Amino acid sequence: MNSAVSYQPKKKPLLPRMKKYAGFYFMFIPVLAFLIIFHYLPMFGIYFSFTKYNIIKAPVWVGLKNFERLFAMPNFWQAFSNTIELSVIKLVLSTGMSVILSLLLNEMNNIYGKKLAQTIIYLPHFMSWVVTASVFQLILSPTTQGLVNSILMQLGIVDKGIYFLGNSATWEGAYYVINIWHDTGWGTIIFMATLTGIDPGIYEAASIDGAGRWKKMWYITMPSLANTIITVLILNLAKIMNLFESVFVLQNDAVMDVSQVLQTYVYYQTFNSGGIPDYGYTTAIGLFRSLVGMTLMLICNYASKKVRGRGIV
Amino acid sequence: MKKLVTLVLAVAMILSVMVMPASAEVQKPEKITIFIDGTVVTEPNGQKQFEEKWEELSGIELEIIQPDHDAYYDVLQQQIASGDWPDVMILSSTYYANYANEGVLWDMTEAWENSKTKNSGRMKNENVLDGLKINGRLYGFADAAGGGCVTYIKKAWLDAVNMEAPTTWEEYAAVCDAFVNNDPDKDGVKDTYATAAAGFIGGEAPFINYLPEYYQDAYPSFYQNEEGVWVDGFTQPSMKAAMERLNEGYTKGWIDPTTLTNGTKDCRNKLSDDTIGIFTYWAGTWATNLKNLLINNNHDAELIALPPLEGAPGFFDRVPPVWAISSTCENPEGVFTYFIDTMLDGGDMQFLWTYGVEDVHYSYKAETIMPGTDKAVTYEQGVFHFRENLETPGTTYTKNHIDPVSSNAFFAEGYYDPKADIVLPENIASSDLFAANSRAAWIVPSTDEMSMYNGDLTTLKNGLIAKVAMGEMTYDEAMAEFSKQGQGWSDLIVNSLNAK
Repeated sequence: MNSAVSYQPKKKPLLPRMKKYAGFYFMFIPVLAFLIIFHYLPMFGIYFSFTKYNIIKAPVWVGLKNFERLFAMPNFWQAFSNTIELSVIKLVLSTGMSVILSLLLNEMNNIYGKKLAQTIIYLPHFMSWVVTASVFQLILSPTTQGLVNSILMQLGIVDKGIYFLGNSATWEGAYYVINIWHDTGWGTIIFMATLTGIDPGIYEAASIDGAGRWKKMWYITMPSLANTIITVLILNLAKIMNLFESVFVLQNDAVMDVSQVLQTYVYYQTFNSGGIPDYGYTTAIGLFRSLVGMTLMLICNYASKKVRGRGIV
Repeated sequence: MKKLVTLVLAVAMILSVMVMPASAEVQKPEKITIFIDGTVVTEPNGQKQFEEKWEELSGIELEIIQPDHDAYYDVLQQQIASGDWPDVMILSSTYYANYANEGVLWDMTEAWENSKTKNSGRMKNENVLDGLKINGRLYGFADAAGGGCVTYIKKAWLDAVNMEAPTTWEEYAAVCDAFVNNDPDKDGVKDTYATAAAGFIGGEAPFINYLPEYYQDAYPSFYQNEEGVWVDGFTQPSMKAAMERLNEGYTKGWIDPTTLTNGTKDCRNKLSDDTIGIFTYWAGTWATNLKNLLINNNHDAELIALPPLEGAPGFFDRVPPVWAISSTCENPEGVFTYFIDTMLDGGDMQFLWTYGVEDVHYSYKAETIMPGTDKAVTYEQGVFHFRENLETPGTTYTKNHIDPVSSNAFFAEGYYDPKADIVLPENIASSDLFAANSRAAWIVPSTDEMSMYNGDLTTLKNGLIAKVAMGEMTYDEAMAEFSKQGQGWSDLIVNSLNAK
């Protein structure tokens, strides 16, 4: 039985240690100042969510009234459920597509072809959402100039162009497709990195044992990728309340019932009221969003500990 | 005794009157701080020279604070929140009404009534200033009319379908039908629409200015009726006819099918690439710009500016941006007298605000502008001409801050105004048509209820208008939905406006 006792050097007192590492502490000062000024001090703004505040006059304490109003507004709950629905479906679809694309890329033997394909699929990620929206408005236009509708009409599938982005029934589908186009390529990077790390010896052994491509993918590649897929899902789940730009640029009056999310709701409360916005109310919405985001993050952290044996925070 | 008391009172009155003038005299400020957006000359465009010239003419130090144009109201709000308010600021209609309501702005009613400008006899748009009054009080000064949109129609398309410019809704509908079905661009393909707009309803007041033939007398937001009572226009009978016209226009293909997702630039492109033949857009300078767009695309460039259809009340004249003095200004009378009341003085100061600084923005020298380019123009000595834009080389200036066409006052008699020599005829024609057929937009004061519910209410209304226009809902279904969701908010806002 091994009864070796591990040696633990005696720690020096704090002050001498600080003196020893003074240079590092000095270098840390700007980071600390940045964190305090831009991350911690703004947290005092939470105070405004309990006030009525129009910037001109001093804030008036109203207690929980902003939250009462918030929870009584049907549009708020619609925005909340849209946020969850759009984010979760988008996350699952984008991650799924990224995995499939990574597996396909991994099967490519021609190194130049593989790199070219990777470069092409990464490009959409660098296109701003405003440009992406303009491009897809053209592609999905309900006129004969719209690529999709002109194909559908020429094939005789439809008589009249479908207004994909102007109808609640089709908007969500179009939104997911556009998001997959925009984000899938970029999402493959992390999966490709994992795939590259798999020991080729395992594939060789499997080949000797008579495994074909499909079996190698199913019994070697997928299990190796599983941990990364879960990690990506967990990390992104914590960010699902931050949906704004991709929705905002594709939104229009006819699809607000399916496209209004919490961030756009705050935007319209601020700029569409015709009066001076009540910043207390919009701060309350922001606080609620942050609390939901934090809760999700804690759940993810718990899930991560269970699945991976370590947390994400 | 009575006589003695009367005599004493009379002497006291005379003495007080003798003392009064000194205190009532307006004190000339030493320095004025102004907070301005990009509609006033920017630094790269010669702001320093403008400031020097203004100081030379007034004898007052001018401090200009000019945030980035797109972030102007964000920065202004931060400035207001800080409590360090500038003497003078430029405000859009929404901020003007709200700031006046919150006591941020100095009441200039009396100052304006006694001003040199108002009593000069040179005012041409005095109703613009009257339209700025909130509960009978004036808190801001507009140097020019707000402007608005008129409807332009392609003459070549009318000729192609052998029709005249429409004057009634029925004629308008017939022209739209012909523009869709009779191949007005003569390319042998049915690929045209009558008109296009950026959405069925605009994002800012007066909301309906891009589709006036369809809305006519309807207005989907809050306004004061003839009795002076605030109402929600969305609930008025005129909206039914308007939404039915929109539905007819969209389902019959008169209105471009992508209207919901169009931006204004998309619409301009559709006009210039011969996809549409009718386009409602800004009167004035834009008449020339649209003409140039058509010329650049090798299309016939003649556009007819249409008067409002018979029975329609006319185009909306936007509430113009205003110059307002803050209520914390130490010497508001002095700032009014020496800054605002000189802006349209009919002489050198008005010339400075309208055309800029000599030999910077304009010149009378013999010279060639943009030499060596295909835009080069040579002027003789003594001929007024704008110079090449310092910030955007390859273009020339067209004005300084005040638009010479929509300025609220003429120059003094005998003072040279180059307007007639430099403004193009289509610009003047569309401006004149607009001026003759426009009505002032309403200034809607802010209330707590407005701040609380109008965001949700506007989203609801815009959605219902779009759905009725596209045939996804009937008017009755839309109103049933409105009663369920929005009527309560609407009533609260209307009541709060009428209680003010």
